[in-house]
Amino acid sequence: MDGWRLSDEQLRAWLASLFAGGRRVVAPAEEDGLVLLREVASAAEIRLDPRGRTRWSAKEFLFPATETLFSYTFDGDDVALERPPEVPEQVIFGLRPCDAAGAARLDDVLLVDELYARRRERTTLVSIACADADPACFCTAVGGSPAGTEASDLQFVPLDGAWVGCCLTERGAALVEGAAPLWPAAGEEDWAAVEEQRRAVEESIGAERLPAEWAGVLAEHFDGELWTVLGERCLRCGLCAYVCPSCSCFDVNDAGNALCGTLCRSWDSCGFAQFTKQAAGHNPRPTQPARYRQRVLHKFAWFPLEHGRFMCVGCGRCVELCPVGLDIRQAVNKVATA
Amino acid sequence: MNAFWPRLMRIAEAREETADVRTLRLEPLDRDGGLEWRAGQFAFFTVFGAGETVFTIANPPTRADHIECTFKKLGKVTAGLHRLSVGQVVGFRGPYGNSFPVEEWRGRDLVFVGGGIGMAAVASPLRLALDRREEFGEVLVLNGARTVADLVYKEEMKQWARVGGVRVVRAVDPGGESPGWDGEVGLIPDVFEGLGVAPAGRVVIVCGPPVMFHFMLLALDRLGYPPENVVTTLENRMKCGFGECGHCNVGPFFVCRDGPVITADEFRRLPADL
Repeated sequence: MDGWRLSDEQLRAWLASLFAGGRRVVAPAEEDGLVLLREVASAAEIRLDPRGRTRWSAKEFLFPATETLFSYTFDGDDVALERPPEVPEQVIFGLRPCDAAGAARLDDVLLVDELYARRRERTTLVSIACADADPACFCTAVGGSPAGTEASDLQFVPLDGAWVGCCLTERGAALVEGAAPLWPAAGEEDWAAVEEQRRAVEESIGAERLPAEWAGVLAEHFDGELWTVLGERCLRCGLCAYVCPSCSCFDVNDAGNALCGTLCRSWDSCGFAQFTKQAAGHNPRPTQPARYRQRVLHKFAWFPLEHGRFMCVGCGRCVELCPVGLDIRQAVNKVATA
Repeated sequence: MNAFWPRLMRIAEAREETADVRTLRLEPLDRDGGLEWRAGQFAFFTVFGAGETVFTIANPPTRADHIECTFKKLGKVTAGLHRLSVGQVVGFRGPYGNSFPVEEWRGRDLVFVGGGIGMAAVASPLRLALDRREEFGEVLVLNGARTVADLVYKEEMKQWARVGGVRVVRAVDPGGESPGWDGEVGLIPDVFEGLGVAPAGRVVIVCGPPVMFHFMLLALDRLGYPPENVVTTLENRMKCGFGECGHCNVGPFFVCRDGPVITADEFRRLPADL
């Protein structure tokens, strides 16, 4: 396999070169004691840490928490419309393979619209493979891997204080065009070490791969009793959807005044009571268990039946952060057997 | 193309159907091509300053020089639409969704059942069937509402009743009648059962509130209507219209993309999440 072996300094020098030409650089940086993916102004701010995922996923940089669909201005009885501003070219560096895989799930749903497609087209994803796993990680259960390359344009693997990198797409190649010819090639022993590390991390995760047929099994357990037991614990705070790299449901709302305004879309969650509530008062999913079931089945039954993969990348954030300790793995594994 | 970019339309005509139901006639401001849709498709209507809302397009494609919608004042956007006057501008995007299989109905007898504002959702195929009258068999229109004051399309119903082979039955819920009411009194499913309309060769197109729809399906079962000959149109909460926003997802089905038109047979096979 073609690739390079870089020192920290070489990697940082390349990162510093990315800021040229008005490109936005998003990378892990420390803020209030948390490691967050955020826009950075210089390479010095970037945390080059082989361990641990960032607090939130990269979703907000591809699919903003709130974005303008169009703006309008009143002129008497008439209305003038305006398109949202052009999105910047950006590099998202240092996201984990699970978060990059999340982008592929967003693509499955959102690529049909120009606003998302345009942002996606102007984004290069540079992932960092995982040198270890958090207790909540379960990427291997849903078809991922600590060194998964799905949706990554470039990937760097932390290895004994160095970085073994490779290019995965033409977009990735364009980003290393000037720098890569000067980087030392990785040797066979480097790739063997990368492979060994991947195996070790996968083993430490210890989650067995969920068979694709599980989608059909879950769909048949729509009336399972466990939905009530689990769903009644849910506080409908929406946190799981917000931290999820693959959750893509959104709401559309108007924010305007007597002169002008915008039509915006914002992240939404099927766990919210209003999500399906109709103007006339009817709510097809009137209880929290019904809403919790939708969340789990959309990800593990309905979505895979249509797109051939689970709408979950196993990042574990929802497991780790749920205020009442709901664990989606438990629902997926047990509802068909309870 | 920005999928959320609306086409601007001017309100050419507004008709107050009831105290809280209104019909608008909208005409595009631009001259960029015509309007195309199929009976049963829906669209998003924008009140700038209030937001978007979803209605079935109420006029048939046989009258494609404008867009008509009939809606009830229930939320922020419909209240905004009620306040607008002729001459003002709204946004329109669509059409979306599938449509009624009108061509399959040729030569068959048709029953249109509309409960409350549900009448607006069956208005397009009904008007289409009347515009192409000779292609279809007998047409029965059953329209019900809570009270006489809540009945929509009052003038048009009289015109429809005068067309050969068309029967119009109007009903109000018990207690909803007023002095001089000459229609039926009773709940729509009961009134329909009382009409004794045989299922052979008939297609039933029904839309109304969930509780009415539920009992209507039971009544149709008792009368022997095969569920594949019963068609409805669903009205879930929606935000995009093309299977993206997730709101109308029910099992493997997206109401906006795979519906909104669905047979009773298909409806029953979906998870009980509707």
